[in-house]
Amino acid sequence: MIRRLVHLARLVPLVLLALTMQVAAASAHASLTGSEPADGTVVAAAPEAYSLTFSEPVSPLSLRLVGPNGGAVELDRFDLVDRTLRIAAPAGIGRGTHVLSWRVVSEDGHPVGGALVFSIGAPSEGVPQVADGSDRGVQAGLWLCKIALFLGLFAGCGGVFARRVLMPGIVSGRGFVAAMLLLGAAGTVLSIGFQGRDALGAGHLGDIAVWSAGLATSYGRTVAAALVAFALAGTALRLTGRAATAAASAVLLLAGLAPALSGHASAAAPQVLMRPAVFLHAAGIAVWIGALVPLGLALSRGEAGAAAALRRFSRAIAPMVAVLVLAGIALAVVQVGQPGALLDTAYGQVFLVKLALLAVLFLLAAMNRWGLTAKAEAGDPAATRRLARSIAAESLIVLLVFGAAATWRFTPPPRVLTAAAAVPATVHIHSDKAMAEIVVTPGRAGPVSVTATLLTHAFEPMEAKGVSFVFSNPAAGIEPFKRQAERQADGTWRSGDVVLPLAGEWSLRVDVLVSDFEILRLTGTLAVRP
Amino acid sequence: MNKLILAAGALILAAAPAFAHVTLDKGEAPVGSTYKAVFRVPHGCEGLATNVVRVRIPEGVIAVKPMPKPGWTLEKIKGKYAKTYDYHGTPTGEGMQEIVWKGGNLGDDEYDEFILRGYITPDLAVGSTLYFPVVQECGADKAERWIEIPAEGQTSDDLELPAPGVKLIEKTGGH
Repeated sequence: MIRRLVHLARLVPLVLLALTMQVAAASAHASLTGSEPADGTVVAAAPEAYSLTFSEPVSPLSLRLVGPNGGAVELDRFDLVDRTLRIAAPAGIGRGTHVLSWRVVSEDGHPVGGALVFSIGAPSEGVPQVADGSDRGVQAGLWLCKIALFLGLFAGCGGVFARRVLMPGIVSGRGFVAAMLLLGAAGTVLSIGFQGRDALGAGHLGDIAVWSAGLATSYGRTVAAALVAFALAGTALRLTGRAATAAASAVLLLAGLAPALSGHASAAAPQVLMRPAVFLHAAGIAVWIGALVPLGLALSRGEAGAAAALRRFSRAIAPMVAVLVLAGIALAVVQVGQPGALLDTAYGQVFLVKLALLAVLFLLAAMNRWGLTAKAEAGDPAATRRLARSIAAESLIVLLVFGAAATWRFTPPPRVLTAAAAVPATVHIHSDKAMAEIVVTPGRAGPVSVTATLLTHAFEPMEAKGVSFVFSNPAAGIEPFKRQAERQADGTWRSGDVVLPLAGEWSLRVDVLVSDFEILRLTGTLAVRP
Repeated sequence: MNKLILAAGALILAAAPAFAHVTLDKGEAPVGSTYKAVFRVPHGCEGLATNVVRVRIPEGVIAVKPMPKPGWTLEKIKGKYAKTYDYHGTPTGEGMQEIVWKGGNLGDDEYDEFILRGYITPDLAVGSTLYFPVVQECGADKAERWIEIPAEGQTSDDLELPAPGVKLIEKTGGH
């Protein structure tokens, strides 16, 4: 209590001072005439102090520093020397774009606010993100369905091709192939629901609208092709002779086609390259992977035709794998784009995991091919057993590869991220006298360029003497800062040196000086992505 | 201590009247009579000296005569009024619409006044505020523009660049 009284007592002279100042108030307002660091600059190291110089003496009302992550620090260590406000910088200020937001009151009692945007080292740029609104359950469902689809297409359809075309003598693996086809069909059908749930971002699997939404996406084409492939493959398992060979070949084509009809890779440019690459990659996987389990089973059971089947497999598989790898490389180059994206993006990380698994897989395959195959073909029982075990291990790794590849469903490739990051933010501002179309490129936090196209209310191009953009972010406590625009040859107004330090809702005011004596102020809000 | 300064600042804000920028020295003017407008220019543009002062004459103010200032060149921009006004029995349809004092050098830390007189026609409504938009030019590309006129529901205090204004009142006594 006593402390509070002392506190109040200390305030009294200041209040008196304030009242005196009020009486003496001259008709003038303060404006910022200089600052350190200067507005809009990049400084090499964090300054130890900031200074704001005004056209006349001021008293600060509020001083805060807003950091690159949006956190604000109140700046309460400052000195007033004449017309300059010297402010001590808080400790531990890191790199990136900071905003010194100030609000002062000058002699005339007129509060003036403004903000100083400066960057330490370099302007901060947000990490590109693509919004992912779907819930965990839906994601898990989609992931499992995708693995089931892969198993159906590659182990199922590929297995039918292996048993009917590649190694027709084999008896083993019929049950496994049939099971894979059923699993694939079930997963594919279920995935329609999850896909629809994901596309709509709402609803549940009992809702018919969810299922029709799932079919309506490009994924619907993949579903259709896959289901036809599974049905035909099931039929081919029962057929014999040339009909079986023809059906199994058609099944292989469909298994390659299904993934090429939708998905990230198939959507990428150049389509002429990407869709065939997806097709070849998928068909190659089906030939190779489809043969693994039937061959492994035949070898471990000591089937009569196993050695002959192994010979056919090992002769055919090298060119198939070459095609598959080449197509895979083409896909990776387009999708990943820059080597740096391998580590920086989730897509790239998944790719690295897949690559590591493939390295083990190819090592095993090479050991089998050059270490065991010849002996097994010659009928060496020990080598045959080892080969069967090795094939079982390969199959497990393949399952892991499928699991990794299925997570790509949730990680937009770097190519897409780069494109998404460049998407501008736009706002259309309308008043009874004029309208402005504002484009902020890129539409995310960091250095941006702002362009305004001005039109009269009759949609005719509007001439102006000058245009400036005033940004503020009341939610983050950032007072307005102004950037002058320059007229471009095409009649638009552009400011290239704007740094928007934070994502979120920004207030944007466009000041249009129509003539010497007429100014229009158009205000709108702009959504800036991280 | 700094917190207290902040508190004192807030107090000034709460108590003090918010003076505008370029202002007129008299708050009121009767319609149907001649008005001497004194424009008070308290500072330059962001620290720069003022070289040009332009005043836009609002519609309804006729027979304008600016007062010359030593060190400044006067420019009188004339044009047609929106209608013909009665100036003591003389129909008046044109006259000065913008007055420019230029070539001067008014430092940012100096104060000066710019004066003109004109007849406020009775066509202007008593009770309304008459605004004289003013532009201060400092050098080639800096300017302060006191040109904003409050929209309905606004006051000059709401504006960033308020134009100086004068409240129109009933004429009292004979001419």
